[in-house]
Amino acid sequence: MKISVVFYSYFRELTGCSNLSVELPEGAALSKLVAELQGRFPKLKAMEKSTLIAVGLEYQSGNYVLRDGDEVSLFPPVQGG
Amino acid sequence: MKSLSSRPCKADKTVMNRWLRIQAGPIDETALRQDRTISRDIGAVIYFLGVVRKQEGEAEISALDYEAFEKMAVHQFQKIFDEVERRWPIESVRLVHRIGTVSVNEPSLWVEVTAPHRGEAFQACQFLIDEMKKVVPIWKRPVH
Repeated sequence: MKISVVFYSYFRELTGCSNLSVELPEGAALSKLVAELQGRFPKLKAMEKSTLIAVGLEYQSGNYVLRDGDEVSLFPPVQGG
Repeated sequence: MKSLSSRPCKADKTVMNRWLRIQAGPIDETALRQDRTISRDIGAVIYFLGVVRKQEGEAEISALDYEAFEKMAVHQFQKIFDEVERRWPIESVRLVHRIGTVSVNEPSLWVEVTAPHRGEAFQACQFLIDEMKKVVPIWKRPVH
Protein backbone atom coordinates (compact mmCIF):
# COMPACT_ATOMS: atom_id res chain seq x y z
CA MET A 1 0.00 0.00 0.00
CA LYS A 2 1.06 3.57 -0.61
CA ILE A 3 1.34 6.08 2.27
CA SER A 4 1.91 9.82 1.82
CA VAL A 5 4.26 11.41 4.31
CA VAL A 6 4.45 15.14 4.99
CA PHE A 7 6.99 16.96 7.18
CA TYR A 8 6.28 20.28 8.84
CA SER A 9 8.37 23.03 10.43
CA TYR A 10 12.09 22.24 10.88
CA PHE A 11 11.49 18.57 10.14
CA ARG A 12 11.66 19.62 6.49
CA GLU A 13 15.25 20.74 7.05
CA LEU A 14 16.09 17.60 9.03
CA THR A 15 14.94 15.39 6.17
CA GLY A 16 15.71 17.69 3.25
CA CYS A 17 12.20 17.28 1.83
CA SER A 18 8.62 18.30 2.54
CA ASN A 19 6.82 15.15 1.42
CA LEU A 20 7.34 11.71 0.00
CA SER A 21 5.51 8.49 -0.71
CA VAL A 22 6.33 5.21 1.05
CA GLU A 23 5.32 1.67 0.05
CA LEU A 24 4.42 -0.58 2.97
CA PRO A 25 2.85 -4.05 3.25
CA GLU A 26 -0.92 -4.14 3.84
CA GLY A 27 -1.85 -3.83 7.52
CA ALA A 28 1.43 -2.21 8.55
CA ALA A 29 1.36 -0.21 11.75
CA LEU A 30 2.41 3.42 12.03
CA SER A 31 5.50 2.32 13.98
CA LYS A 32 6.73 0.44 10.88
CA LEU A 33 6.47 3.58 8.80
CA VAL A 34 8.30 5.59 11.45
CA ALA A 35 11.11 3.00 11.58
CA GLU A 36 11.35 3.12 7.78
CA LEU A 37 11.57 6.93 7.87
CA GLN A 38 14.16 6.92 10.67
CA GLY A 39 16.25 4.56 8.56
CA ARG A 40 16.11 6.92 5.60
CA PHE A 41 16.52 10.08 7.67
CA PRO A 42 18.76 9.40 10.71
CA LYS A 43 18.21 12.93 12.05
CA LEU A 44 14.56 11.99 12.63
CA LYS A 45 15.67 9.21 14.96
CA ALA A 46 17.43 11.76 17.16
CA MET A 47 14.16 13.70 17.40
CA GLU A 48 12.10 10.64 18.29
CA LYS A 49 10.97 11.91 21.70
CA SER A 50 10.01 15.30 20.25
CA THR A 51 8.04 13.99 17.29
CA LEU A 52 4.28 14.32 16.94
CA ILE A 53 2.53 12.14 14.38
CA ALA A 54 -0.87 12.56 12.80
CA VAL A 55 -2.75 10.39 10.36
CA GLY A 56 -5.09 12.65 8.46
CA LEU A 57 -6.16 15.26 11.02
CA GLU A 58 -5.83 13.16 14.19
CA TYR A 59 -2.84 12.32 16.39
CA GLN A 60 -2.05 8.61 16.42
CA SER A 61 0.36 6.31 18.24
CA GLY A 62 2.65 3.60 16.88
CA ASN A 63 0.14 0.75 17.01
CA TYR A 64 -2.29 2.53 14.66
CA VAL A 65 -2.90 0.36 11.60
CA LEU A 66 -2.36 2.27 8.39
CA ARG A 67 -4.53 2.02 5.29
CA ASP A 68 -3.69 2.53 1.66
CA GLY A 69 -3.73 6.23 0.80
CA ASP A 70 -3.30 7.49 4.38
CA GLU A 71 -1.51 10.81 4.78
CA VAL A 72 0.89 10.79 7.71
CA SER A 73 2.32 14.06 9.05
CA LEU A 74 5.40 14.30 11.25
CA PHE A 75 6.29 17.46 13.09
CA PRO A 76 7.96 18.88 16.20
CA PRO A 77 6.05 20.03 19.31
CA VAL A 78 3.53 22.71 18.46
CA GLN A 79 4.11 26.36 19.40
CA GLY A 80 0.95 28.32 18.72
CA GLY A 81 0.13 31.57 20.44
CA MET B 1 -37.72 12.24 47.50
CA LYS B 2 -39.02 14.33 44.62
CA SER B 3 -40.61 12.42 41.82
CA LEU B 4 -39.23 12.94 38.35
CA SER B 5 -42.47 14.51 37.20
CA SER B 6 -42.24 17.27 39.82
CA ARG B 7 -38.81 18.44 38.66
CA PRO B 8 -38.76 21.55 36.53
CA CYS B 9 -37.73 20.88 32.96
CA LYS B 10 -34.16 21.93 32.24
CA ALA B 11 -33.91 24.21 29.26
CA ASP B 12 -31.90 22.87 26.34
CA LYS B 13 -28.30 23.97 26.49
CA THR B 14 -27.70 26.83 24.10
CA VAL B 15 -25.31 26.07 21.29
CA MET B 16 -22.00 27.89 21.64
CA ASN B 17 -21.23 30.20 18.74
CA ARG B 18 -17.80 29.66 17.20
CA TRP B 19 -15.76 31.81 14.90
CA LEU B 20 -12.22 30.88 13.86
CA ARG B 21 -9.71 32.42 11.49
CA ILE B 22 -6.15 31.40 10.69
CA GLN B 23 -4.94 34.30 8.62
CA ALA B 24 -1.84 35.85 7.10
CA GLY B 25 -2.96 39.47 7.50
CA PRO B 26 -2.87 41.59 10.66
CA ILE B 27 -5.48 41.14 13.39
CA ASP B 28 -7.93 44.06 13.22
CA GLU B 29 -8.90 44.48 16.88
CA THR B 30 -11.21 47.43 16.17
CA ALA B 31 -13.20 45.45 13.60
CA LEU B 32 -13.37 42.44 15.90
CA ARG B 33 -14.74 44.57 18.76
CA GLN B 34 -17.28 46.20 16.44
CA ASP B 35 -18.47 42.78 15.22
CA ARG B 36 -19.18 41.56 18.76
CA THR B 37 -22.76 40.53 19.43
CA ILE B 38 -23.91 39.37 22.85
CA SER B 39 -27.25 38.28 24.24
CA ARG B 40 -28.92 39.78 27.31
CA ASP B 41 -27.72 36.76 29.37
CA ILE B 42 -24.08 37.75 29.07
CA GLY B 43 -22.27 39.27 32.04
CA ALA B 44 -18.66 38.69 30.99
CA VAL B 45 -16.76 39.42 27.81
CA ILE B 46 -13.07 38.77 28.03
CA TYR B 47 -10.46 38.79 25.34
CA PHE B 48 -6.82 37.89 25.27
CA LEU B 49 -4.07 39.02 22.94
CA GLY B 50 -0.90 37.03 22.49
CA VAL B 51 1.78 39.48 21.38
CA VAL B 52 5.23 38.78 19.92
CA ARG B 53 7.99 39.53 22.45
CA LYS B 54 11.37 40.89 21.41
CA GLN B 55 13.14 38.12 23.33
CA GLU B 56 13.05 34.54 22.05
CA GLY B 57 15.25 32.46 24.33
CA GLU B 58 18.61 34.21 24.57
CA ALA B 59 18.27 36.10 21.31
CA GLU B 60 16.64 39.37 20.43
CA ILE B 61 14.35 39.06 17.43
CA SER B 62 12.45 41.39 15.10
CA ALA B 63 9.55 39.04 14.35
CA LEU B 64 8.25 35.50 14.47
CA ASP B 65 7.37 33.56 11.36
CA TYR B 66 4.34 31.32 11.96
CA GLU B 67 3.51 28.20 9.97
CA ALA B 68 0.40 26.05 10.33
CA PHE B 69 -0.87 22.71 9.10
CA GLU B 70 -4.10 24.59 8.53
CA LYS B 71 -6.61 21.83 7.94
CA MET B 72 -5.51 19.96 11.04
CA ALA B 73 -5.25 23.19 13.05
CA VAL B 74 -8.90 24.00 12.27
CA HIS B 75 -9.94 20.47 13.19
CA GLN B 76 -8.03 20.54 16.48
CA PHE B 77 -9.38 23.99 17.37
CA GLN B 78 -12.92 22.67 16.78
CA LYS B 79 -12.25 19.75 19.12
CA ILE B 80 -11.07 22.20 21.80
CA PHE B 81 -14.19 24.31 21.23
CA ASP B 82 -16.28 21.13 21.65
CA GLU B 83 -14.67 20.56 25.04
CA VAL B 84 -15.13 24.21 26.07
CA GLU B 85 -18.80 23.92 25.15
CA ARG B 86 -19.13 20.70 27.12
CA ARG B 87 -17.51 22.13 30.26
CA TRP B 88 -18.81 25.69 30.57
CA PRO B 89 -21.94 27.68 29.62
CA ILE B 90 -20.11 29.79 27.09
CA GLU B 91 -22.18 31.79 24.61
CA SER B 92 -19.44 32.44 22.06
CA VAL B 93 -15.80 31.92 21.27
CA ARG B 94 -13.98 33.88 18.60
CA LEU B 95 -10.34 33.19 17.81
CA VAL B 96 -7.85 34.53 15.29
CA HIS B 97 -4.34 33.15 14.87
CA ARG B 98 -1.80 34.70 12.54
CA ILE B 99 0.43 32.82 10.16
CA GLY B 100 3.36 34.33 8.28
CA THR B 101 5.61 37.02 9.70
CA VAL B 102 4.41 38.82 12.83
CA SER B 103 6.58 41.68 14.09
CA VAL B 104 7.50 42.34 17.71
CA ASN B 105 4.62 44.06 19.56
CA GLU B 106 2.05 42.79 17.05
CA PRO B 107 -0.59 40.28 18.14
CA SER B 108 -0.28 36.73 16.84
CA LEU B 109 -3.35 35.50 18.71
CA TRP B 110 -6.72 37.06 19.61
CA VAL B 111 -9.24 35.10 21.66
CA GLU B 112 -12.61 36.28 22.94
CA VAL B 113 -14.98 34.38 25.23
CA THR B 114 -18.43 35.56 26.28
CA ALA B 115 -20.33 33.95 29.14
CA PRO B 116 -22.93 34.77 31.80
CA HIS B 117 -20.23 35.07 34.51
CA ARG B 118 -16.53 35.98 34.58
CA GLY B 119 -15.35 32.79 36.31
CA GLU B 120 -16.40 30.50 33.52
CA ALA B 121 -15.21 32.96 30.88
CA PHE B 122 -11.70 33.15 32.36
CA GLN B 123 -11.50 29.39 32.90
CA ALA B 124 -12.65 28.62 29.37
CA CYS B 125 -10.22 31.11 27.83
CA GLN B 126 -7.30 29.75 29.87
CA PHE B 127 -8.22 26.17 28.96
CA LEU B 128 -8.58 27.00 25.29
CA ILE B 129 -5.14 28.62 25.07
CA ASP B 130 -3.45 25.88 27.15
CA GLU B 131 -4.92 23.18 24.92
CA MET B 132 -4.03 25.08 21.77
CA LYS B 133 -0.39 25.06 22.89
CA LYS B 134 -0.51 21.26 23.23
CA VAL B 135 -2.34 20.10 20.13
CA VAL B 136 -2.90 22.73 17.44
CA PRO B 137 -0.22 22.30 14.75
CA ILE B 138 1.22 25.79 14.50
CA TRP B 139 4.94 26.52 14.73
CA LYS B 140 7.06 29.63 14.91
CA ARG B 141 10.57 30.54 13.88
CA PRO B 142 12.48 33.59 15.05
CA VAL B 143 13.31 36.29 12.52
CA HIS B 144 16.44 38.23 13.48
